[in-house]
Amino acid sequence: MSPATKTRVKRFTPPQRLFHLGLMICFLIQSASGLGRMFMQTSWGHGLCWVFGGYDAARTVHIYVGIFMLCWFALHALYVLAKINWKEFPECLFGPDSLLPHPRDIRQAFQHTLWFLGLRKETPEFGRWGYWEKFDYWAVFWGMAIIGVTGLIMAYPLVSTQAIPGWGLNVALWVHRIEAILAMAHVFIIHFFIGHLRRHNFPMDRAMFEGSVDLHAAREERPAWIARLEQSGELGGALVAESGSGLRIVYYLFGYTVIVIGVFLLIGAVANSGRLIW
Amino acid sequence: MAKTSSLLKIFVMLALAAAGAVLLLPPQAAAQEEVASSIRRYKDREASTGYYEAYEVRPRRLKPLVGVPGVEAGIFPYSPASAKVRDRSHLADSHMGIAFYKEKTCQTCHPEQAKDIHTVRANLTCRQCHGGEPIASIPYFQSPMNPIRRHAYVCAKCHPGASASYAAYVVHEPRPSQASTLKKFPLLAYAFWIMVAIAVGTFVLFLPHTFLWGLRELFMKKEKK
Repeated sequence: MSPATKTRVKRFTPPQRLFHLGLMICFLIQSASGLGRMFMQTSWGHGLCWVFGGYDAARTVHIYVGIFMLCWFALHALYVLAKINWKEFPECLFGPDSLLPHPRDIRQAFQHTLWFLGLRKETPEFGRWGYWEKFDYWAVFWGMAIIGVTGLIMAYPLVSTQAIPGWGLNVALWVHRIEAILAMAHVFIIHFFIGHLRRHNFPMDRAMFEGSVDLHAAREERPAWIARLEQSGELGGALVAESGSGLRIVYYLFGYTVIVIGVFLLIGAVANSGRLIW
Repeated sequence: MAKTSSLLKIFVMLALAAAGAVLLLPPQAAAQEEVASSIRRYKDREASTGYYEAYEVRPRRLKPLVGVPGVEAGIFPYSPASAKVRDRSHLADSHMGIAFYKEKTCQTCHPEQAKDIHTVRANLTCRQCHGGEPIASIPYFQSPMNPIRRHAYVCAKCHPGASASYAAYVVHEPRPSQASTLKKFPLLAYAFWIMVAIAVGTFVLFLPHTFLWGLRELFMKKEKK
């Protein structure tokens, strides 16, 4: 293959893409079954529950997919532990490839905001991970912990009330609900917008499916990352060719199916919220 | 060094053995736990004294001393409304003496109590838990709803294995957004408002951020190739 066809930079490894794919599918199933039960009194929620086989079956699906999601999350945590460069252990956490928050993220967020408002000419020199990506990543960590623990408490109330008083179930339900609303609204509005609608990525950022991003676009948006790769001489090895048109069609079809389901859930929930009995 | 590592090995093996022993223990049958106090013992199953108002209605000396997690007054008090009708709180027939009682439905006087998951989602009627007439006050000494036996007499009908702690679930949950919930069920109100603050904070930051970002990129000059 000639180097001229290698127009894209590797961004995600196959396991990372697989983790994201599993998370997407689980998240949609959990959103649909959870919203279906929450909106059971409306025909919209009734229809959502029907997909899973009714009000009770939706709960069973919700519990087992939730447990699978927690296992998937644990697997991801093990993957992260295995991927850490233990030889340079504490330093590598603050390096440019780390997803941990860094003071420069706050600075870049401010600079980015100034750029939105036209108070700054250039976009900040983003590295491999932008502050919004780091926020998304850790939001899932926090959300998994909160939703997972409260979900398990409610899924097995006879066991959990041996450790906590029964009124903890009331608290768990509200925490679970609000965290779920936060997660769904964040994904269906903000995450989808950043990945699809803004001009840089329109119609879709294929990075998470294809595993690579266009070199030109990356140089434009993440100059510090590409400059670092060039400086260390890693850029040549990180270049890959664009995937075939068949695969690209699959990526787009899958991405847009997810968008349609997410937006359907978002609009349905907002439109029916007046009829909701909490 | 060798000594410490062998000591460590022993510790690890002991810990594993303890974990294994826990797995082998028989499961706890929560509904069969004893909630009778050492003083009261099994009085709720014993014969009546025959002195109705004097003894059974207000068992003064035998006021429940046993706390159920989460239900003792103070940390989780009942509603101010039920605190006001102090006289009715220990009656064998809590509705005794109410005018035109037979003409009323439960929801005439307790509209808020019919708006929770048990009634709205599980379609339970009031009587399925509270029973037929006369409906005793909940803390009444011999009421099936008394927290000392509620888990076994009421909750376990649909939730086999329900324990006293399990029965401390607040079926008639107050709306967490209401100001009165801060007094009725403070932990629920605090949890609710903390979660709402996190959610609102996220959107206050990220919604305008994302919108402005999209707008700015829309009007960005075409990139140089």
